[in-house]
Amino acid sequence: MLPLQSATPLPDRISGLLGLGQFGVPGELLAGLLASALVATFVLLNTAVAGPWAKRKITASFTDRISVNRIGPFGLGTIVVDSVRLLSKELIIPERVDRPAFDLAPLVLASSALLGFAVIPMGNGIQVADPEIGLAYVFAIASIASLGLVMAGYASSNKYSFLGGLRAVAQNLAYEIPLVLTGVSVVIFAGSLQMSEIVAAQEATLFEVAGVAIPQWFAIVNPFAFGLFLVANLAEVGRNPFDIPEAPTEIVAGYQTEYSSVYFVLFYLGEFIHIFLGGAIIATLFLGGPAGPVLPGIVWFTIKIWLVFLLTQWCRSAVPRVRIDQLITIGWKGMLVLSLANLVLTAAIVGVIA
Amino acid sequence: MSLEQPEPPTGGDEVGVTADGLDYDELAALVGDNVIDREQHVNAEGFVIRPDAVQDTLSTLRNEAGFDHCSAVTAQEYDDRFESIYHLKKFDDPTQQLSVVVPTTKDDPVSESAEPVFRTADWHEREAYDLVGIDYEGHPDLRRILLPETWQGHPLSKDYNQNQPQVVPLREHANPLEEDHSAGEDSDTMFVNIGPHHPATHGVLHVKTVLDGEQIADIEPDIGYLHRCEEQMCQQSTYRHQIMPYPDRWDYTPGGILNEWAYARAAESMADITVPEYAQVLRTMSAELTRICAHLLALGTFGLDVYGDFTAIFMYAVRDREVIQNLLEDLTGQRLMFNYFRLGGVSWDLPEPREEYLEDVRDFIDELPERLEEYHDLITGNEIFQIRCIDTGVLPPEVAKNYGATGPVARGSGIDYDLRRDDPYGYYDELDWDVVTQDGCDNYARVLVRMREVEESAKIISQCVDLLEEWPEDDRDIQANVPRTLRPDEDKEVYEAVEGAKGELGIYMRSDGTDKPARFKIRSPCFSNLQTLPEMSEGEYIPDMVASLGSLDIVLGEVDR
Repeated sequence: MLPLQSATPLPDRISGLLGLGQFGVPGELLAGLLASALVATFVLLNTAVAGPWAKRKITASFTDRISVNRIGPFGLGTIVVDSVRLLSKELIIPERVDRPAFDLAPLVLASSALLGFAVIPMGNGIQVADPEIGLAYVFAIASIASLGLVMAGYASSNKYSFLGGLRAVAQNLAYEIPLVLTGVSVVIFAGSLQMSEIVAAQEATLFEVAGVAIPQWFAIVNPFAFGLFLVANLAEVGRNPFDIPEAPTEIVAGYQTEYSSVYFVLFYLGEFIHIFLGGAIIATLFLGGPAGPVLPGIVWFTIKIWLVFLLTQWCRSAVPRVRIDQLITIGWKGMLVLSLANLVLTAAIVGVIA
Repeated sequence: MSLEQPEPPTGGDEVGVTADGLDYDELAALVGDNVIDREQHVNAEGFVIRPDAVQDTLSTLRNEAGFDHCSAVTAQEYDDRFESIYHLKKFDDPTQQLSVVVPTTKDDPVSESAEPVFRTADWHEREAYDLVGIDYEGHPDLRRILLPETWQGHPLSKDYNQNQPQVVPLREHANPLEEDHSAGEDSDTMFVNIGPHHPATHGVLHVKTVLDGEQIADIEPDIGYLHRCEEQMCQQSTYRHQIMPYPDRWDYTPGGILNEWAYARAAESMADITVPEYAQVLRTMSAELTRICAHLLALGTFGLDVYGDFTAIFMYAVRDREVIQNLLEDLTGQRLMFNYFRLGGVSWDLPEPREEYLEDVRDFIDELPERLEEYHDLITGNEIFQIRCIDTGVLPPEVAKNYGATGPVARGSGIDYDLRRDDPYGYYDELDWDVVTQDGCDNYARVLVRMREVEESAKIISQCVDLLEEWPEDDRDIQANVPRTLRPDEDKEVYEAVEGAKGELGIYMRSDGTDKPARFKIRSPCFSNLQTLPEMSEGEYIPDMVASLGSLDIVLGEVDR
């Protein structure tokens, strides 16, 4: 069986396999690109299944419907059909939009989420880079998405988009802090910001139940932080009950109202990658990363991020959205206080034990 | 008989109330010189008053005689005059009715506005101005309401030329992107058009909104996008058969059978037709099935407004509606546009085999409590739902009455007003059921009222099924003897209302001796209910406005007619 983690990062292994080492810097660059392409393809593949197909199937089962079933087995052919349909639509750019910003916004959103995956350990040694500040990097790069939302909201020259952009910023500001603070409490446990270290710290056995070793996953060690992180993550990815930046029944589609065709696909894609990135962070910080019995790490990792995806869709089907002022109140007065308390408590406990 | 007896009219201090109904002489004496003539309408007496004494008369009648509900304002043109009729009622006892008739001359059709007395007259008088062309002096905002602002002529007036081309250059007339400075030049407000095409407006409603940040500074519903000349179409159709299909198209959620009943009641009252008991039971059962259908849709769409597009509630509601629609299809042959009622009865008896059909209905009723429990778990028990809906969109009872709000909207504000009990028709007064009210006055209360009304409707249906099962076979008259062509006497006027899915759905008809009504006026509950939206929404957040709009449960087909 392949090791859960590998000391050599993925680009080096590719370089070793293909013998690119002899070409110096260009060889390293090529190996890095190949590794990134591999990870990106994996993520986009997940997104492709999630966006046009799984999301519909999941929502349909919650709402007692059948959903796509015409093309291919289980309607899986819809993925291809829908991609072609969306990409072949006319790209409508309204007259008074702020051009470079309008065009860049979808790119910023989609790429920021994709870049975050660079430091995620996906098991079987699949990890493009493993810097010491891995977690800080992920949070930093993921929050660039807010910039994309503001750009889209502002540049669209549409009042609904504008409101949506403003809501997105307010929301991300309010929930980014609890998210990071809760993440920090995990860092206190693990003693490192490096993603591989955080995963490694969860490998130890916490206790045994009937001979089955329960690993020291932080979700089990500190379920309170896990809950906080899940909620804050829902707000980060903008899903019910926190989907107010789009809130179709209030502000039509928020910041993406004016986007069509490829730009819309990029937004859509970006949102799904963000959900998966959120899932990846949750898996890494709280669910032991790619760890799991029998199956290879990458499979476990995929299962975990899909579970988080399932959770977002579940909330979407069953939970009402809060109002903007309630959302901000929950963020600043509830989540922030709770996450600070969690941080202080964790620090105290870890300090006493260590 | 309903368990909740109607409260005895608080009439001790109200002028004109006697043990056997209204003493119109006393009322006429109260209004004094303002009355220049008196008319007999089928439902009530009409006081003809001077056009400059409208406010005086109405406020006296409201304050001293207790007529606190202005159902509708009907305007019409005669050969020699224009006429506005204010249909007054009491919320406490809607059988006590009075029509205030205000004639004006043809050369100068100006009468005093009733808006300062009854806020509801605002829109009703705008409609009268729009369609008939009467000018209301002192009206705060007398603009067209259903037709475009640039329309030429008043379509229901006698000299209206239908062939005249309507050139409506709205583009030059109103610029939707125009900067808005309605709150002053330096204000930080933003003008947003919500609708006519918007996910939350439940049809083609246009809400002109001025936002201060996320809060609503000013709001004005703009209606008329779905105006289909329903009143005029009815005026061109014969009483006996041609009008009945139209009511299905007013409230198509489907409130169809309830709407048909409004016309049936008015026409039967006008032509003095008695409906056989058996047909009344069939009517009652089918009407309540429709009401459950309509309330479930209201619940489902409210879920969309508060939850978002991918909610399970909508599909759950549609799933349960589907069962009823199948039942109604078996009964009437149609799923949406039933056309089931006939004057003097209904079109068919229960489908054969009867037992099987009644068993199907009973199965549905038996399953309903479980389903409702599910809704309560999913919706009303949810804490986020509660913080979203409790104390938002507040409509105090006094305001609701002033705006003529009826139906679940009024009952959600604690107004105990249900025509099924208070002005009984059909078989309702023989059955055991309750009128549901909630005192919350907010969005939550209105949702609860609808959900509990579904339970009450189920009670009614289940009793109807019992009755139908035991009904002797040789006494199953579904249709009274009605002449092939109905020609009510000339100048007979009637205003009758039933409890539609959304509230008091009234029909005013005037006969001119032919087989078609000379004036056909629809009092739509949604029209009056929608008028309360600014009261509920100003100062609130956009999401609350959307929720309030959802809890009003308007159908634009009925608002615009």
